[in-house]
Amino acid sequence: MVLVLALGDLHISHRAPDLPPKFKSMLVPGKIQHILCTGNLCIKEIHDYLRTICPDLHITRGEYDEEARYPETKTLTIGQFKIGICHGHQVIPSGDLDSLAMLQRQLDVDILVTGHTHQFTAYKHEAGVVINPGSATGAYSSITYDVNPSFVLMDIDALRVVVYVYELIDGEVKVDKIDFKKTTTT
Amino acid sequence: MMKKQVPDWLNSSLWSTNPSPPPPPPADAPTHPDHSPVDRKPVVPVIQQTAIKPPEPVKVEERDPLRDSVSSDHQDEFENGAGSPSSNVEDVSKQAQLLQEISNKVISLSELRRLASQGIPDGAGVRSAVWKLLLGYLPSDRALWPSEVAKKRSQYKSFKDELLMNPSEIASKNGNSVSVDSEEARSESKGLLSRSEITHDEHPLSLGTTSAWNKFFQDTEIIEQIDRDVMRTHPDLHFFSGDSSFAKSNQEALRSILIIFAKLNPGIRYVQGMNEVLAPLYYVFKNDPVEENASSAEADTFFCFVELISGFRDNFCQQLDNSVVGIRSTITKLSQLLKEHDEELWRHLEVTTKVNPQFYAFRWITLLLTQEFNFADSLHIWDTLLSDPEGPQETLLRVCCAMLILVRRRLLAGDFTSNLKLLQNYPSSNISHMLYVANKLRSHPG
Repeated sequence: MVLVLALGDLHISHRAPDLPPKFKSMLVPGKIQHILCTGNLCIKEIHDYLRTICPDLHITRGEYDEEARYPETKTLTIGQFKIGICHGHQVIPSGDLDSLAMLQRQLDVDILVTGHTHQFTAYKHEAGVVINPGSATGAYSSITYDVNPSFVLMDIDALRVVVYVYELIDGEVKVDKIDFKKTTTT
Repeated sequence: MMKKQVPDWLNSSLWSTNPSPPPPPPADAPTHPDHSPVDRKPVVPVIQQTAIKPPEPVKVEERDPLRDSVSSDHQDEFENGAGSPSSNVEDVSKQAQLLQEISNKVISLSELRRLASQGIPDGAGVRSAVWKLLLGYLPSDRALWPSEVAKKRSQYKSFKDELLMNPSEIASKNGNSVSVDSEEARSESKGLLSRSEITHDEHPLSLGTTSAWNKFFQDTEIIEQIDRDVMRTHPDLHFFSGDSSFAKSNQEALRSILIIFAKLNPGIRYVQGMNEVLAPLYYVFKNDPVEENASSAEADTFFCFVELISGFRDNFCQQLDNSVVGIRSTITKLSQLLKEHDEELWRHLEVTTKVNPQFYAFRWITLLLTQEFNFADSLHIWDTLLSDPEGPQETLLRVCCAMLILVRRRLLAGDFTSNLKLLQNYPSSNISHMLYVANKLRSHPG
């Protein structure tokens, strides 16, 4: 039972001052084993804050990150799943599912976590699953101002992943659940 | 010129190797070369003198708990264990009596208590059955045993299933049927994954009080504490510690029992030391020669542990420490008992050398003397504690008092440091004698 937090596109302090307080109250240290961050934090203070929630932090570089030394993509294995992270501004058209699927095949991962669109999506294709946790602060994107803060928590248990989607809609936290299994043939 | 007489105590039969007690019943032959290290203190003969009267409950073997050596041949009752050097005729006859008592259709608990208080022999699973009877796990009507036992064991199993699962397993059990169907439907196709709503705050980051996840994270602290203590239980015994899978499975069992107990008793949860009280119970039940009993030792131990702790609950509850039922008042009672029976020692200990009984008696009482003696001795003491009709709490105080009285000479000669050192590392002694002295301290009416 491994809890993995996926979030990104915070744009603190350029486009948003901080995480919503309701999210902050839920993110307490001690529960989460890994954090996957798609990028665009943007400042070092947020990096430190995330580190206090969980010491195992993986970040990829977003185009506005002030820290230049984050990698463009990252892959890691948690349990039975290979997971890849990439911010997504490198993929054009942004958010296009076929292009993301190509990236996923390139990285050869079961789950690809990307951001950039500031919209939550969870999409399945033959090569695996693409998850976009959206923007955890609700910062505006290059396309729209209407962004709901959201992030994703994955519960990885052997061959099964339960994805909990946390969204802040109209000031209330709504949680949804997505369930999927990895088929053993890879 | 009068030849100086050999003092009477030196002539007592206890010292001799030939069986010759004053009025000799044929079976009564305590043989002393079999005594393994026993501290013969100068104070002992004074009391031994009064102790020479048959039948004398002296158990002369010192058994390594890991060696199950006993002549279970209770057919030749009066033959002094020809082949095995460490058996004793009296022991064999005790075993026979106990076996006979428990094989009755309806067991008389008072008779059982009387027999058990003299000490239960180590072999033939007698102790396991007797303890279960004394702790009320087995009813006294033998015919009800199978049904009672089956009921309790299945109850324990359902506790385990319910309480030991982590929330993600619970979630997967509930959500399984739904996801499989949708999975088959779109196994090779593309598309957005369907989302399902969550009700009742059942997500991992929930801070709600009813959430299984929240409770799980709150319990992790206690579980970590239990884990640490289980690892440290009896590191010298292969049964409990070491790398063997047997030891690991025993530790698992101890861990499960303590976790389930903590979850079912939110008032008292887990307190450090409960693992020490649990260990002898589990050891005895696991070493039951009957295969069926040994494999369900965990379930049996759980219920017996609950029963045993229920009498001592108040000792573990911190809020009750200073109250009339708490540990402090129990220690005061011990103090009073000592004052009653040996005022000189009491005065020397508490007033002159200022050894506060809390320094030593706390561990004696809360851990039921498991930490003061070696494992085999503590099993023997527990026989007496569990079988005494006055109840384990009262008996425990008498045994502690006896422990103090038996080392009185050393205590009277010592100062604060040496007394404290002595009492916190109580020397190994003749347990049967100690229990005999404790018995004598029983308060008689009038």
